[in-house]
Amino acid sequence: MIQLQHLSLRYGQKEILRDLDLSVGEARITAVMGPNGCGKTSLLRCIGGLIEPTEGAVLVDGKAVLDLSARTLAQKVAFVRQHAQTDFEFSAFETVLMGRNPYQHRLQNESQADWDIVERCMKQTNTWHLRFAIPSQMSGGELQRVMIARALAQQTPILLMDEPVSNLDIAHQIDIMRLLRNTMAECIMIVIHDLNLALQFCDNLLLLHDGRILFHGPIAEGLTPENIERVYGVKAHLTEGRIVYDY
Amino acid sequence: MLESVNNKRLRQGVNPWAMLLLTLLLLVAMVAGCLVGAVDFDRGEILNSPIFWQLRLPRVLLSVVVGAVLSVCGAAYQSIFRNPLTDPYVLGVSSGASLGAAVAILMGLEAYLWGVGGCALVAALLTVLLIYKIASIGNRMHTTTLLLTGVCLTLLISAVISFLMVLNHEKMDSIIFWTMGSFGSATWTDVVIVAPVAVVGIGVVLYYSRDLNLLLAGSEAARSMGVEVELVKRMLLLFTTLMVAFAVSSCGVIGFVGLIVPHAVRLVAGPDNRRVVPYSVVCGALFVLVCDTLARTMLRPSELPVGSLTSIVGAPLFIYLLYRNKKRY
Repeated sequence: MIQLQHLSLRYGQKEILRDLDLSVGEARITAVMGPNGCGKTSLLRCIGGLIEPTEGAVLVDGKAVLDLSARTLAQKVAFVRQHAQTDFEFSAFETVLMGRNPYQHRLQNESQADWDIVERCMKQTNTWHLRFAIPSQMSGGELQRVMIARALAQQTPILLMDEPVSNLDIAHQIDIMRLLRNTMAECIMIVIHDLNLALQFCDNLLLLHDGRILFHGPIAEGLTPENIERVYGVKAHLTEGRIVYDY
Repeated sequence: MLESVNNKRLRQGVNPWAMLLLTLLLLVAMVAGCLVGAVDFDRGEILNSPIFWQLRLPRVLLSVVVGAVLSVCGAAYQSIFRNPLTDPYVLGVSSGASLGAAVAILMGLEAYLWGVGGCALVAALLTVLLIYKIASIGNRMHTTTLLLTGVCLTLLISAVISFLMVLNHEKMDSIIFWTMGSFGSATWTDVVIVAPVAVVGIGVVLYYSRDLNLLLAGSEAARSMGVEVELVKRMLLLFTTLMVAFAVSSCGVIGFVGLIVPHAVRLVAGPDNRRVVPYSVVCGALFVLVCDTLARTMLRPSELPVGSLTSIVGAPLFIYLLYRNKKRY
């Protein structure tokens, strides 16, 4: 579904991504992991067509993302960003309804079908009771769930999520991860820091280190004590299928 | 089955009844604006008078058009720049126009048809163009730089205008009078020049009003939800700039309207631009028309500057709306 061809990204002199070749498709949920600043967000933004790579290309279903119209791309790829933006006072319902934009003609109002999809997505993310709330009335986690609902309302086969569960309590983290397992999206790439949560809910691992791919494959094979130490500089061992840190 | 969400609080688009009421109100105000003024008429006599045809009617029409333009552009700018403090003049249109008008007045172009207005228009457009050139990097526009450049150039130009006025004492009054804004010299020429631009421009903003909502979520978020961000921004900035430049050139700088009317509308109708933009058209027109009518009748036969009256009438109204809205939080 997603193919990277010799993808490189530089900001000035700083190399963020170095010559990545990758094909993501067979796995439903791919955890994108690596230390802060290793290029996870940049990779997702390249795939989402939000920034132009310095070299190489990103293909979605065989087509270069930068050649697709914003509308077509938004029907294929939805993006949940790290920090939800909250300046203006749209209600949660109106916010999620914006996710239906790629399916609407400009002068047309939302149809009943759009409203039903929004209602379903909000119920799935446990935000339906917040539908009249404006951002300043919501907690960080609630707002994050609204943003996830908005991405789900786009009903795309590909879902890119940049730390979608970092602001959530453990119950909602699990809710969201379980929800991702049950969505219609065929390919989910999710930046996540909790190794055990990733191990439990993700199929594949894309481990980035210093702008390069250190490992891409089934997550159980990738999250080894050796890789963890190499990437994070943290000693750990596996006990009963769970990662335990040594300190 | 899903619960019905056809709740009034979730409605999209304008309420047709509210729109009808506002439009009727505007029409009544227009008729009233034509009937009152420095000279009183007996019933029936007014339609035969050149005062009605050549002075009051074009003045009423121009104030309606300018009011609509300023409010719609204010609403659009506040969404494009994601900044509630922006007004239609942030990109230097008003200062550019003032400089152009000042130069035209100093050169004695007042005698020519649209001499001052034409100069103001050209200077306004050149100023905005200069600001765009400074603020655009490659083919992208950085909105914060755009705003800062606008503010900076505005200050520079007003300094130049002060300088010109000090050097030309005898024309100081007419320059100041122009910058304060007035519909006192409105003619059919103004209406014919400004109205078509306004109609097209307002149409463009209405067409993109859903995109304006998405732009409020940020450029990247808008793009990932299917908005061609750069194209939409460019179209909107082009047409709003043209509208404001034509409006300012016809009547000078009328402040407050473009900042406050969209906010007042938002306080009542919520942030959805599919409501804010159409309501702003009618409310802005109504507001400026009422203010101008008051400006020329309150102390008749002399006139108050309409720009100060918009603030005197508008500020308390707006503060009342803010106060009333406080309870919602």
